[in-house]
Amino acid sequence: MKDRKWRRVLGTLLAAILICASLTGCSTGSKDGTGKDAGAGGEDGQGNGTESAGEQAMGRFLEEELDTGVVFGNIYDMKKLEDGSLRIIGTNGDNGNSGVWDSSDGGKTWQSVYDLPEEMQNPEKGWMDYAAISPGGQVVCAFNEDTSSGVHPVLYLMDKEGKADKMSFELPKEGESLNITTDLLFPSNEWIVLKDGAGTAYQINVSDSSVKYTYELDSDVSVFQLYAVGNTLIAQDETQVLCYDLQTGEQKDSEEALSKGGSENGLFHAVDTLDGGESIYCLSGGGLYHYKFGGSVMEQLIDGNMNSLGAPAFYPIALAMIDEQNLLVAANDTNASSATGICVLKYTYSADTPAKPDKELKMYSLYDNKEIRQSISRFQKEHTDVYVNYQAVLSEGNGINVSDALKTMATEIMAGNGPDVLLLDGMPVETYIEKGILKDLSALLKESGGSYFENILNVYQDAQGQICAAPARFMIPMIHADSAYYSPGEDFDAFTERKDTMVNMLPGTVVEKFWYTCGAAWQKEDKTLDESKITEFLTKLKNAYGEYDSSREGETVGMSMTMEGAGTEEVGDIYLSRGELELAFEKINTNFGLCRDMDYGMQQAVDKKLKDGKMDLMPGQADHVFVPTMVLGISSKSAQPEMAEEFVKYLFSQEAQKISQFGGFPVEKESFRSVIDGHEYEGLGGIVGVAGLGMEERLDYAMEPTPEEEIAKMTGLVESLKTPSLQDDVIKEAVVEQGEKVLKGELSPEEGAAAIMQKVNIYLAE
Amino acid sequence: MRTKVSREKKSRKNKKHKSVWGFLWILPSFLGVMVFYLLPYADVVRRSFLGAVDNRFVGIENYKTVLGNTAFQLAVKNTFLFTLLCIPVLIIIALFCAVTLYKSKYGGIIKSAFLMPMALPAVSVALVWRLLFHSQGLLNHWLSNMDIAGNDWMNNGSAFWILFISYIWKNLGYDIVLWMAGLAGISSNIYEAARVDGAGERQCFFYITLPNLKSSLYTITVLSFLNSFKVFREAYLVAGDYPHESIYMMQHLFNNWFRAFSFDKMAAAAVMESAVLLALIMLLQKAWDSKE
Repeated sequence: MKDRKWRRVLGTLLAAILICASLTGCSTGSKDGTGKDAGAGGEDGQGNGTESAGEQAMGRFLEEELDTGVVFGNIYDMKKLEDGSLRIIGTNGDNGNSGVWDSSDGGKTWQSVYDLPEEMQNPEKGWMDYAAISPGGQVVCAFNEDTSSGVHPVLYLMDKEGKADKMSFELPKEGESLNITTDLLFPSNEWIVLKDGAGTAYQINVSDSSVKYTYELDSDVSVFQLYAVGNTLIAQDETQVLCYDLQTGEQKDSEEALSKGGSENGLFHAVDTLDGGESIYCLSGGGLYHYKFGGSVMEQLIDGNMNSLGAPAFYPIALAMIDEQNLLVAANDTNASSATGICVLKYTYSADTPAKPDKELKMYSLYDNKEIRQSISRFQKEHTDVYVNYQAVLSEGNGINVSDALKTMATEIMAGNGPDVLLLDGMPVETYIEKGILKDLSALLKESGGSYFENILNVYQDAQGQICAAPARFMIPMIHADSAYYSPGEDFDAFTERKDTMVNMLPGTVVEKFWYTCGAAWQKEDKTLDESKITEFLTKLKNAYGEYDSSREGETVGMSMTMEGAGTEEVGDIYLSRGELELAFEKINTNFGLCRDMDYGMQQAVDKKLKDGKMDLMPGQADHVFVPTMVLGISSKSAQPEMAEEFVKYLFSQEAQKISQFGGFPVEKESFRSVIDGHEYEGLGGIVGVAGLGMEERLDYAMEPTPEEEIAKMTGLVESLKTPSLQDDVIKEAVVEQGEKVLKGELSPEEGAAAIMQKVNIYLAE
Repeated sequence: MRTKVSREKKSRKNKKHKSVWGFLWILPSFLGVMVFYLLPYADVVRRSFLGAVDNRFVGIENYKTVLGNTAFQLAVKNTFLFTLLCIPVLIIIALFCAVTLYKSKYGGIIKSAFLMPMALPAVSVALVWRLLFHSQGLLNHWLSNMDIAGNDWMNNGSAFWILFISYIWKNLGYDIVLWMAGLAGISSNIYEAARVDGAGERQCFFYITLPNLKSSLYTITVLSFLNSFKVFREAYLVAGDYPHESIYMMQHLFNNWFRAFSFDKMAAAAVMESAVLLALIMLLQKAWDSKE
């Protein structure tokens, strides 16, 4: 009996412990209940701010674009000299002359010191690849002399006042091919470090051009970038950072934390030091980092997510640390206010600014959007108290699919933790509007004061005049072909009666491109699809496509276009620009797809190559079709509706609309003109661009402003657009999947249409 | 007399005391059910009369919409058809296997082998499905080697039968174990006595085994019924949100409605579904109770 009593007591005790433990488990988590930091990432937040319980950490670097008074066409290097002044070697964008500028007021104003020697200014005599400045103000330039006997790389050395001398150093031959400079540094007044095409770095004495040490760096699997601070030469590739002592030429002990920081935060863009090389300041896409050699951690000083440093179109060239609280960054920012894109930014530490912005605005999209990232960067610059937390759900390598992403978002919105602003790419826009998820934007758009293409902006306007979602950009399905294969104004029936119009094209891509111009014609008034029109679409497309050539199966498509300092951009399958060169060199007979930018020079060059090239709206079952992109909406459950409205208003402003990252034409008229008018080529004297499919198939084209009549024509064409493409990824997926089978001959058009209807009917019935 | 009254009082007090203790012991579990099932269910019932996002009262409008929804009708039809076909087939095959294994010397080992499919993660099963039944998958490859035309198995009526076989394959071992537990409860004396009276195997099965397994049948039917809902995982992983119409189940519909913020329709459909399930289970229980 006594035993039983004890057992009961023990049982009750255990049960109590279990309940307490489970309740304690539930209560763990972040204090704010969100589980997330309010602001940017980083190891210790921002700057030197400290945080104690209940207090807000203060101190952050603020960004400012300097009005230098000089339009730089290019900047090769920028350095703080031993005397405290700043020096830039670059090109004057106004006259194209290369020279050296100094600033003695921390970068506010720049005075020309000297122009480079005459022989270096003449494009017919050669070109300059690299230049570097020493701490004492000397300048070294890697120049390629173009002579009758070929190209000869030489080094020019200029003293502080500009007296130039040719150095006697000569790069060793690299077999039969030309060996060129691939990197150039001037870490001390005594020596220069130069890396050649073979991956060898030479430490050259300034006094006699002799080679003091050589460093064998590159291999078949890795290419190193070089940086130097004090007596340390730093070589970085994707995975590691190697350090060499410039005094002895020996490799130093590995810096694990620097290597780790480099591989986590991306390659350094530029480095500098304030203490003769005891520590290093590194600039990368993640922001500015500080590392003391021999230390165990890289400290983040500036978070790139809160300024231009993390923007996708921002390419830093040089970093000059003025002191611990002030620094300059010279950069190529294709969306900078400067006409040439070259700008100088100043970062100043503000002790009174909160380390993390007070307010957080959440924005979600399914796919990453560069225009949004660029806009966020600018918006935050003007609103230092706001942190825009932009999450592209499917671009973060978390392996989730669209359906899971949408479900997670639905949960968050209903729980009140959802996004404030939505970029509705691939989301069911009309369903969201119907369910009341999105706020009316009509008043906001009126207030923004821009002049818009109303036919495009109002695509989601309902009968009551409410606009709950609006496209900030759009694309146009267009066709470019010789008159032998297409006549302007030709309709879908006439076009698909022609043979050989789709030679060498992949069936899935063809169906997807025509989905945009045909899908809109299939929807009946009750929102169901017309099966007869889908059958007609597949029948005609199959007729035009002809027999499927399986030899192109699995072919990788997508070419790269590189511009100096602008990185590499993948050109997708469905875009018009993808096929221009293939059209010019007759790999395909017609080029059709989504037009998202205008390259007048290239278009003219292709037209010349064809006998009678024409560009027009792409034929389809629907007329005058456009594809709304960057569709924006504000969540009706937003916790900060005013700030969300301000941000969306900014996205429709001219400043944000003029940002061009191939996401489509701006819906704002003035910005649209600015994107297509080729103003960036003004004053460049008609330089020639070269593009090609290989060494044998090269196309030269003039890079010049678009003529006024072409701008008017394009504007008129946009104003004539009246049919938005069907924006439904579920239907599109079914059409492309079954359409591809039809074009391959695996299904008849009737079977294909029936299969589409089977899938789509359930979806529409839901 | 006085002693008798005081004993009765004491016994009543004891009973009351015991029931309070009993209630206290089940309280944690009851609280869990309350917080995680009953209260959310009450919220679902409430939401079934409200709008999706704006929460305005709409009466029985959501019920009307759902009942008129063709996707709902298709999902209900498929779910019923699947349940109606799968459960009897599974129960009969499992019983046959259990009886055979019970008599076998190696029944224990073979029983474990039948349980293997339950241990396989749904993702692995889905991957094998894809490999096998894709239009360019292994099955079509083998068929083409035998000069037999292939098929897009997951995009026509055969998808239903693939799901059907998958359900049987996965749940057979579990049901066998349950049947064998029931078989173990039948005393061997009964069989011996029957055999002495001249009963054969068939007669033993129909007149001894089956009547004694009646109590197990209820448990097995209910568990098989509940397990039939889990087949959605495989169907979803292989064919996504919109599979062939023959395997479009209730869970597909709920999944897609959730994604589209159709919480109003979801709530109404969930209330109706739970009512039907509850009624079915209670009917089953009543039928079994009355037989016992």
